[in-house]
Amino acid sequence: MDRAREDAGLPVIALAGQPNCGKSTLFNALAGFKADTGNFPGSTVSYTSSEVVADGRRARIIDLPGTYSISPHDAAERVTRDYLLSGKADVLVAVVDASVLARSIELTLQLLEMGVPMVLALNMLDEAERKGIDVDVARLEKRLGIPVVPTIAIRGKGVVSVVSRALDMADRPSLGTPPIYDRDVEETVRGILDRMPGGLADGIGAPERFVALRLLEGDPVIEEVAGNADPEFLRFALDERKRLAVLHDWPEETTLSSHRHAVAMDLFEAVARVVPRRKMTLRDRLDGVVMHPVLGLGVAGAAIASLFLVAFLFGDLLAGVVSAPFESLLEVLSPRASESFIWAMLRGFVEGVAGGVGIVLPYLLPLLFMMSLYEDVGYLPRAAYMVDGALHRIGLHGKSVIPLILGYGCNVPAIMGTRILETPRDRILTSLLVPLIPCSARTVVILALVAALLGPLYALGVYALNIVVAAVAGRILSSMVKGSQAGLLMDVPPYRVPPLRSVLKKVWFRTYEFLVAAWPILIVASVIMGILEYVGINNWMNAVLRPLTVGLLGLPEAVGVTLFFGVLRKELSLILLFQALGTDDVAAVMSPAQILGFSLFVTFYVPCVATIATLVREVGWRWAGVSTALNTGIALAAAFFVRVFW
Amino acid sequence: MTLEQASKGSRVRVLKRASGHRFASSLDGMGIHVGDELLVVGYAPFHGPILVEIPSSGVRVALGRGMAEKLHVEPVEA
Ligand SMILES: Nc1nc2c(ncn2[C@@H]2O[C@H](COP(=O)(O)OP(=O)(O)OP(=O)(O)O)[C@@H](O)[C@H]2O)c(=O)[nH]1
Repeated sequence: MDRAREDAGLPVIALAGQPNCGKSTLFNALAGFKADTGNFPGSTVSYTSSEVVADGRRARIIDLPGTYSISPHDAAERVTRDYLLSGKADVLVAVVDASVLARSIELTLQLLEMGVPMVLALNMLDEAERKGIDVDVARLEKRLGIPVVPTIAIRGKGVVSVVSRALDMADRPSLGTPPIYDRDVEETVRGILDRMPGGLADGIGAPERFVALRLLEGDPVIEEVAGNADPEFLRFALDERKRLAVLHDWPEETTLSSHRHAVAMDLFEAVARVVPRRKMTLRDRLDGVVMHPVLGLGVAGAAIASLFLVAFLFGDLLAGVVSAPFESLLEVLSPRASESFIWAMLRGFVEGVAGGVGIVLPYLLPLLFMMSLYEDVGYLPRAAYMVDGALHRIGLHGKSVIPLILGYGCNVPAIMGTRILETPRDRILTSLLVPLIPCSARTVVILALVAALLGPLYALGVYALNIVVAAVAGRILSSMVKGSQAGLLMDVPPYRVPPLRSVLKKVWFRTYEFLVAAWPILIVASVIMGILEYVGINNWMNAVLRPLTVGLLGLPEAVGVTLFFGVLRKELSLILLFQALGTDDVAAVMSPAQILGFSLFVTFYVPCVATIATLVREVGWRWAGVSTALNTGIALAAAFFVRVFW
Repeated sequence: MTLEQASKGSRVRVLKRASGHRFASSLDGMGIHVGDELLVVGYAPFHGPILVEIPSSGVRVALGRGMAEKLHVEPVEA
């Protein structure tokens, strides 16, 4: 790998911690904006890495997925654990949310046992202070035997010293003081260590004590490795585990964790002083409304409504300003497009440029802004809580709502966002439903055709119909996709007032993704379209698609080519529709039924190439095919329905 | 009784968690252990999840009904 060579010799610092502890924020404060943060647990599911410079020293930092423990039960936990066991990290920075210190200590202790030189970043000190938690940093350092750096990542406080302490650690590696459990546990561990086959721990990439403890904890992966190495030894270890459980009268699978909990509580009491908080906090009052069984639904409705309201109002405003100069340019270009090849290409090019910045971007920006705000404030997990009951009825998971909402911006990151779901079944189901959600490109089509020409109520109807269709599709698909459905078990994070800068940074990050990944495709496709039109192939394409467009759906023949290119980017359908009809006064050449049919077809049919590619990567070819077929089927049915019943 | 049967506003203590290593380790990570006290904050609509608060840390966790059934609790006198 290129990157490996480039980095040869650079110390590698890995960040690990519980979901929502501020790891990604810390990472971004160091690396510029690279990782996606979000105020909902589990927003980092694959890892990001970046080269950073701190106090003139260079290092590579890795942002590992947030994990509640190092048991290999879900994808995020496995990624983090495998990385730490691979020996690629020179130093591990455990990021801890000081405002929930007691429970964070348990993961910290588990990480200490992995035998990687470690530094602790004590993050969210501002929040801890607000909750009345006062941490004695010096004593914590002494008890854990590792450097502890206080940080407030969101304000960039302490982040540079985290790296420089980590680099000091890389220069002179030392291991901290792993926890010592009670006498019975320690004796059992010693017994297991005595019989452990040589080379077992080295093969796993961890200290022998770690392997012994994992066997006591009941770790399926380590058990398998141990069983392959020496079945006799594994049997002994499992017997020991049973003996310990009986001795302490705990269920077998929680014996060790209960002991760890005791050690953690003891440590917590030694290093933290808690001044009880006021009776009723702002959060309690807000949750009393936002998570109220009735009022909360109103809040959810208002949240969705304002998402669109802001997008439409600002989108219209922005689009008017941005597209004006392009329109005058096109007025000059259009008459010449039929004169020569070059003019045709140029016109296609300008149309592509204008489509990206003049049509899509104005709607995408406000949508992204609102979503980033909801995310950072901490609303999304609350929305998941509110709808979980209803979604379970149709076989979905409450957390599915988070990717589905994100889908209104762009389907691509939304499908990647399905990784926050624990089971493959839930991930596949949600990934199949996301492409049914009209992204900002399709919103543009709905607005420009349905809302502008038929009236805003019709547009609202399209969105409502869309949700109903998605729900029905979800119900049907959930009976087809096999696998277990996870119950909801979710941290509800505190509300946070995100600094405007961090929201804007995130909006820019996602806009940038659109600009580099989608905009060029839009421009290229638009140029090709210009050429095709010049040489007259579009007529041929229209003829091929005629049975579909004219025959089945009753649309003008000229729209055939727009549907073809709409697969590349959905908003192309609109730009190309103007181009193909030779006018942007669509109402003059299409009947209301045709306009609605066309819009519904575009809203539902084949997901754009970028979405298909993402589906293939996330859920595989087969499901990507199912999704494409599903979308197309629904699109045909909806458009046909309009034709017949209008 | 199980957490699923606890009423809104009540305080309960965790007696037992249904077996399953995965369930146990998730609960550990969120800070819900045997012996811990929980405050039942409320319920979501449509037979949705239960919201509990761990008074000692102020952390709030949402548990679906299926999950709540796996948590055996006893009421705590206020
Ligand atoms: N008050 C406060 N908030 C912070 C601090 N650091 C991060 N946050 C906020 O905490 C939330 C979670 O931060 P992330 O960086 O996304 O958390 P993460 O640990 O990467 O989470 P995952 O991606 O789920 O693993 C965001 O809303 C941040 O703005 C801090 O020091 N103080």
